[in-house]
Amino acid sequence: MTAISVEGVSRRFGRFPALDGIDLEVRSGEFLALLGPSGSGKTTLLRILAGLDFADGGTVRFDREDVSRLPIARRQVGFVFQHYALFRHMTVADNVGFGLSVRPRRERPAKAEIARRVEELLGLVQLSDLGGRYPAQLSGGQRQRVALARALAVEPRILLLDEPFGALDAKVRKDLRRWLRELHDRVGLTSIFVTHDQEEAIELADRVVVVNKGRIEQVATPDDLYADPASAFVHDFVGESNQLPVTVKGGRLLYEGRALPLDVQEVTDGSANLFFRPHAIRRVDAKDGLAATVSHLRPNGGLLRVEADLPGRAVPLELDLPEGGLALGDTLAVLPTRYRLFPAETAA
Amino acid sequence: MSATETTTESALVRRLLIAAALLFLLFFLLLPLLSVFAEALPAARDGLTVGAHALGNGAVGTASRMVAAGFAEAGGRYWAAIADPDAHAAMRLTLLTAAIAVPLNLVFGLAASWAITKFDFPGKGFLVTLIDLPLSVSPVVGGLIFILLFGANGWIGPWLAAHDIQIAFAVPGIVIATTFITFPFVARELIPVMAEQGRDDEEAAVALGASGWQCFWHVTLPNVRWGLLYGVLLCTARAMGEFGAVSVISGHIRGETDTMPLEVEILYNEYNFAAAFAVASLLALLALVTLFIKSVLEWRYGTQGGGH
Repeated sequence: MTAISVEGVSRRFGRFPALDGIDLEVRSGEFLALLGPSGSGKTTLLRILAGLDFADGGTVRFDREDVSRLPIARRQVGFVFQHYALFRHMTVADNVGFGLSVRPRRERPAKAEIARRVEELLGLVQLSDLGGRYPAQLSGGQRQRVALARALAVEPRILLLDEPFGALDAKVRKDLRRWLRELHDRVGLTSIFVTHDQEEAIELADRVVVVNKGRIEQVATPDDLYADPASAFVHDFVGESNQLPVTVKGGRLLYEGRALPLDVQEVTDGSANLFFRPHAIRRVDAKDGLAATVSHLRPNGGLLRVEADLPGRAVPLELDLPEGGLALGDTLAVLPTRYRLFPAETAA
Repeated sequence: MSATETTTESALVRRLLIAAALLFLLFFLLLPLLSVFAEALPAARDGLTVGAHALGNGAVGTASRMVAAGFAEAGGRYWAAIADPDAHAAMRLTLLTAAIAVPLNLVFGLAASWAITKFDFPGKGFLVTLIDLPLSVSPVVGGLIFILLFGANGWIGPWLAAHDIQIAFAVPGIVIATTFITFPFVARELIPVMAEQGRDDEEAAVALGASGWQCFWHVTLPNVRWGLLYGVLLCTARAMGEFGAVSVISGHIRGETDTMPLEVEILYNEYNFAAAFAVASLLALLALVTLFIKSVLEWRYGTQGGGH
């Protein structure tokens, strides 16, 4: 079932196109990440979904209902801000109950009912004892959980989170991430969060939408995204990559004028960029591969991370190799075991 | 906050700087203020001087009697000056002016800072500049602007005269000029506070279903309440003390269009120094009360964690 569908949404800020023809389907109950570098348009897209901003063109539908022109108050969305946006002069309980207490008189639950609901939500976010505190008296992680409880109080159709962990330190971020994933699995609410942290997107999301320069580069599960990147940008942005400028000519792959024994039968001739992961390599004889000089060594989770300089290139190769047998200044030759080629002009 | 070795100056330099600052304050702020109160009670001062002499001659009884008499006489003159009907009229007018100008500027200031910090619209920069105009232009020019508008030969003066509406040289003119002069105070206080807070809180409130009014009343206003109160205090102090613009437009009709600052000047020009300083001391007292309330507010600002 499709919960949200976005068709041809675009948005300009002055002459700068923040979003350019976005199409996206979000499944009901899905946990979706909008991943991209800063300035890619991911937050703009989230704000357009929320109704905090409006598209210049295209439509946004929730459960087939066109909500493109509806303001946020009438879209029934829960929105969580990067910096919490808690009301500082209200207690935690008043913050959580705010959405219920501002309803028109005839829709507003009784005071006791609001209090009960607040209690329940504080229980859900594991802050039952802190209802009487003020936001300033809470830690960052606690504040974000209050913000989440407040957003859930109005029983939204979808939950939107703008860099929800962006203001937290690394340890809290990791705990809260896991906790949010569990909460999502329990509540089952269609949720979309924005992040610039690929690790966060991959750990948390059912599917990841990679956004770059106002366009969607790829929509995929975290596994597929890593294993099967659809563009040079995605390969570079998600996970670690080595990137080399090469030429394809008559079914042969040339690097610096030398042929590499890699299969490029299906690739059209021209300039291209060769991408491969640090671990997807094997060592070969010097004449058969990319010969490089070891310039840096550091342990990397049981393996050795080797930085090796190719002649004439400023950026070293990053390679994961078994420990032992290598020293600074050694030369080695490698060939990628898995690799991708993208036409040069679309390289990020 | 403790100064560290790297950021602090040597003890000598520190003491010199502190001494310089204190001396400056003493000569330019404290002494003038004290002298206003002292001049307001010249007889008491005389009594004190004579009393001190008597004390020097060992006549304790005489000394205390003379000081007491001096104070009694001074008190009498002080009260006479303040109880003068013209002085009363001036006080009433000053309070009335402040009572109209301050609420107006409260509303204008809030509206302007709300608009400037929460929305984007063409002409925003111009509006910000315009808010500063009353601060940058001489108050006399501020008064003249309104003479030009409402005076007998002014742009809408003839129309007003034809409809028997008196603005220049009357109470409405004084109120308008004062409102003009004190306009920036509330807005100037609020704009930085609101700008720093951004729009997140409002967006959160609206996302939770709050109407514009609920958002303003439950979220925006409480967020800026201390800054707002501070701005209102400054605005009040200036509204009661404004001289230049009001002087131009008031017409100086005693008992009718004289505010307290104008009354002080008239009394002073009449060589009625005791009365002039008596009224001036009231104005100074108002300023002190304002400063006191401001300090209390700042103290609260400081203790309320993120309270502004």
